[in-house]
Amino acid sequence: MNVPDFPPRLDTDLVKPFWTALEQGTLRLPACSVCGAWQWYPYEFVRCHPEATLQWREVRGRGTVFSFTRVTRNFLPVETAVPYVCALVEPDEAPGVRIASVLDTDSGEPSIGMRVRLKPTPRSNYTAPVFEPATDGE
Amino acid sequence: MQASSRIAIVGVGETEFRRRQERSLDALVVDAARRAVADSGLQPADIDGFIAPAGQPPADEIALAIGARHRSYTGINAYTPGAGPVAAIVEAQLAIAAGLARTVLISYGTQTSKPGGPYAFHAADPLKAALEMPVGYYGQPVYFAMLAQRYQHLYGLDSRHLGSLAVSQRAWAALTPGAQKQDLITLDDYFTSPLVSEPLRTLDCCLITDGAAAFIVTTLDRARDLPKRPAVIAGVAAGSNPVTLTEMFTQSRDFLDIGPGAAARRAFEQAGLGRDAVDFAEIYDCFTISILLQLESLGFCAAGEAGALVADGRTGPGGKFPVNTHGGHLSHAYIPGITHVVEAVRQIRGERGKAQVADASVGLVSTFGGPDHATLLLTVDR
Repeated sequence: MNVPDFPPRLDTDLVKPFWTALEQGTLRLPACSVCGAWQWYPYEFVRCHPEATLQWREVRGRGTVFSFTRVTRNFLPVETAVPYVCALVEPDEAPGVRIASVLDTDSGEPSIGMRVRLKPTPRSNYTAPVFEPATDGE
Repeated sequence: MQASSRIAIVGVGETEFRRRQERSLDALVVDAARRAVADSGLQPADIDGFIAPAGQPPADEIALAIGARHRSYTGINAYTPGAGPVAAIVEAQLAIAAGLARTVLISYGTQTSKPGGPYAFHAADPLKAALEMPVGYYGQPVYFAMLAQRYQHLYGLDSRHLGSLAVSQRAWAALTPGAQKQDLITLDDYFTSPLVSEPLRTLDCCLITDGAAAFIVTTLDRARDLPKRPAVIAGVAAGSNPVTLTEMFTQSRDFLDIGPGAAARRAFEQAGLGRDAVDFAEIYDCFTISILLQLESLGFCAAGEAGALVADGRTGPGGKFPVNTHGGHLSHAYIPGITHVVEAVRQIRGERGKAQVADASVGLVSTFGGPDHATLLLTVDR
């Protein structure tokens, strides 16, 4: 299984809690402080409630593959081993939120609707959101 | 609508299209603008309106370089590349109707062979750099492969349909002077071209091009006094989907809706035409899959059914449903959106020689870029 290694460029602290949580082995997402609605991606302003702030909340790290593609040619501006499987994963607690991630396909072919669980995977100086196949009830 | 308030495209111009042009973007845009003026039969001094994207050679430079004198209207085209050139026609229409200008030049150029290529545009987005590039979700072919895979899941996707588009457009390009790719290809060539991001192959992807194009819009009354047949603007509308450019390829609620939906309905309403009146269509083709998605949104068929419309060479020369009759962005050139307008004008004028669609009296141009999109219906003067 290949996993790209391209550190996040953090121009501001807005997205930092996402990466800090992954380093700790968890998945955290920003939600509206007034109504609790997820807001992914994070912006300085909250879309649903102008007076709200974003609060980062932990989710279990289980979800469903919304779509995926096996990338066979690298477009990143650094040398990157291909193929790797890039996916959009919807966490169970946040339907409609899609996390750009890498799929670990060592144990089987990916498919849309596949159940997956978080497998935080260290890279050079960040921990990548990799998901691996899961069976419910595990 | 009365003749006096109707508008038409009267001049088109384009540069040579290839990778690694030494000339600057400014020089390329000016070349295209000069050719559009020459093609129209207008005098340079007749051009009094200019609409160009921010970051492109400014209107003052273009105006002086083509010999214009009275620049009474200057507009910035704020729509995303792709949608921009057609959306600019809406602005030109308003400027002309308001008496701000009588004859408007719309230009667009690009140099995607520069370092970073067409991808650099997305790398500059802070949220993509922070959240997508670290997992390798980067490069337009990867985004559109993600769409294609979802399409495959929901409706089934027959790769032969994508291949048919690639093969048909190459056949059109072979009949088009100046097209970047002239060598004919077969469906076998399509299936042996390398996968880039599954299910998309290199032959599903648009070209890398340096070049520019321009066209001129004026009143139909004035157009009728010019030497070439007017391409009458029967309907034109722009719109946008409720998603940001940043989030379009991840969070879009209706993931496969890339437009033009509502804008297309408005354009067809303005024109008083149905889908069956369309003789040929120039459809923004950053990738083959984009054509299927737009055909469905344009109302030519239901969701999941566009494959049948493009199968077995139907969109190629001699086919029942000619699409991208210059080769499109896949085989002609990738100057997003604008070369489709130029081609539609030439078809309406009947100038396309071996690539001329028989009895072409209604042409459609469909474009999008990010969440923005725009639809144009051109007709012969009748």
